[in-house]
Amino acid sequence: MNATIEKTTLLNTLEKVFALRNPSGNPEGRQALNYLLAKGLPSVKTEEYRFIAITRLLESVMPEVPTLKPGGKISPGQLIPELACNRIVFVNGVYSPEQTEILDSSLTLSEDAPSGAKQTDDPFNLMNRAFCESLIHIHCPAKQEMKHPVAVVYYFDSTEFIFANPRWKFTVGDSGKASLVEYTVAEDGVSFFNNKHTQISAGRQAEIECTTIQRGAAQEIQVNNAFIDLADNSQYQGYTFTSRGRMIRNNLTMAIDGEGINAHLYGLYYLNGQTVADNHTVVDHRKPRSYSNEVYKGILDGNSRGVFNGKIFVRPDAQKTNAFQTNRNLLLSETATIHTKPQLEIWADDVKCSHGCTTGQLDEEALFYLQSRGLSRDAAKGMLLHAYAAETFESMRNETIKHFVTNLVSEQLHQNG
Amino acid sequence: MLTIKNLHATIDEKEILNGINLTVKAGEVHAIMGPNGSGKSTLAAALAGREEYVVTKGSVDFMGKNLLEMDPEIRAREGVFLAFQYPVEIPGVSTINFMKSAINQIRTHRGIPTLDAVAFLKLMKEKMKLVEIDQSLLNRSLNEGFSGGEKKRNEIFQMAMLEPTLAILDETDSGLDIDALRVVARGVNTLRSKDNAIIIVTHYQRLLEYIVPDFVHVLYQGRIVKSGTKDLALELEEKGYDWIKGQLTPA
Repeated sequence: MNATIEKTTLLNTLEKVFALRNPSGNPEGRQALNYLLAKGLPSVKTEEYRFIAITRLLESVMPEVPTLKPGGKISPGQLIPELACNRIVFVNGVYSPEQTEILDSSLTLSEDAPSGAKQTDDPFNLMNRAFCESLIHIHCPAKQEMKHPVAVVYYFDSTEFIFANPRWKFTVGDSGKASLVEYTVAEDGVSFFNNKHTQISAGRQAEIECTTIQRGAAQEIQVNNAFIDLADNSQYQGYTFTSRGRMIRNNLTMAIDGEGINAHLYGLYYLNGQTVADNHTVVDHRKPRSYSNEVYKGILDGNSRGVFNGKIFVRPDAQKTNAFQTNRNLLLSETATIHTKPQLEIWADDVKCSHGCTTGQLDEEALFYLQSRGLSRDAAKGMLLHAYAAETFESMRNETIKHFVTNLVSEQLHQNG
Repeated sequence: MLTIKNLHATIDEKEILNGINLTVKAGEVHAIMGPNGSGKSTLAAALAGREEYVVTKGSVDFMGKNLLEMDPEIRAREGVFLAFQYPVEIPGVSTINFMKSAINQIRTHRGIPTLDAVAFLKLMKEKMKLVEIDQSLLNRSLNEGFSGGEKKRNEIFQMAMLEPTLAILDETDSGLDIDALRVVARGVNTLRSKDNAIIIVTHYQRLLEYIVPDFVHVLYQGRIVKSGTKDLALELEEKGYDWIKGQLTPA
């Protein structure tokens, strides 16, 4: 019923855009769009989207027919400094071979028709499947260790609103070792909706480190549908850092589809102003004897709003699973809010699972202690916040990326001080 | 150095300090004793600038300046140090970590050049020896998993690093065994000079055997009801606080 209300506006726009862009006549796209038109977009009555009025927001900012404009060239100063990397660039949502640069010869890169997407009935997943132009496949072959990380850069450069639907897949073969970092670079004042779809898959014994940095632009709307598939004895470390944007939604789904897997998911959302960040994560243990640990922390200032929904599934076959989850939140202002919900569904009986969530303020006792040693209140605050946040990024292996994230945290501290 | 006049302070609107008068001169050591709940720790916290304690009346002059107007960090930079009765645990922040910032913020405030990493390390090593504290402890999250003795030694280590003009030790002896007590006392005695002063808040006479005070004051119901020399502490030890209470009741 709600769907019909939404249909009058945003869905109409989507239909129009689809007709205009007619992406490669791809039947999968048409099918996804039809499903989306039938299903409708989420309202705040939709369980999975109840804390963020994303459809309303998109309706208010998305023009009748958003452009699909070629952008300019990213300047080196906009990139993570001193990071030697295999750089893959999307400009206004479209893959740019010209700005892409590969350093590691064993890494393969291909651009294919957008098929084989992870199909869920999430409306934004459907939307990406309908509008995505091509699939970028990045592959690290078996037994290879990538010297340089892969950096996926979403570059936005337009005077008009951009509706982007990039999609990539990063596969690491058996015993391969690779890392990836993705982030947005936007020219001043660009307004856009980045509706991403990403897939990472680790072969047996593979090791992957993946960092998602979300601090692109004040006007950014992002939905990040990310899928991670892990095979036997693989190791995965994921970091999601969110600090800027209008509304950022992460749907992160990790399938622990093998034994002996070791997976860590870290998240830090450090928000201010009107920013809304919503992290929905699913850790799905399908096979026995694997380990997962999820640590998400929030620092919320101003009128910002955070959402954390962490699902852990332990399927009947996944005996001897160890699965842990922690979500901690610090509210720095009276008007910041957090909605947090752990959700454990366990069908196996021989497992160790725990979850915990806390929400509080900065410890006044600790602040006073540091002040009584001569530190200004701001310095004391900064020190406590930094110590609190550090857990979510200190285990990063790439020092350059770690340094970059550490600086982002300090930058954010500074803004608040 | 320090002149407290008719100090009244409340917490949650409950009056704890009820007209304190105390003068401390440079080079002096004052012991403040008294039964539980007499206001000893409140006095210490109020001097350090803890917000929950609201000063409702009276004045505190420190080195010619109005102490009560200063934020806690300014008091520290002006030379006041409080050794906490219950030092807080701060996960992720090590002693070395914040002491370096603290020392340099204090030095900047006083208009003297800041310490570089080498000079800081040298100073630290010297003070570590004084209180027999291990560097590994100073690298760890502050007070997390520290024993009672380690926490108190860490407080004295910080005091040694900051070299305060006025040090307030709030029940530094509680929870210390005899060896730790000796180490702490030695640290304090080394820092004693004609230019600084120390206020020791304690329940027992024990610490005063090691740090000999010039004056002993008895605090009761938020007021100093008796002052004397170190002999007063001995007398208290012998007769107990009921002796003081008994003296006061008829009045």
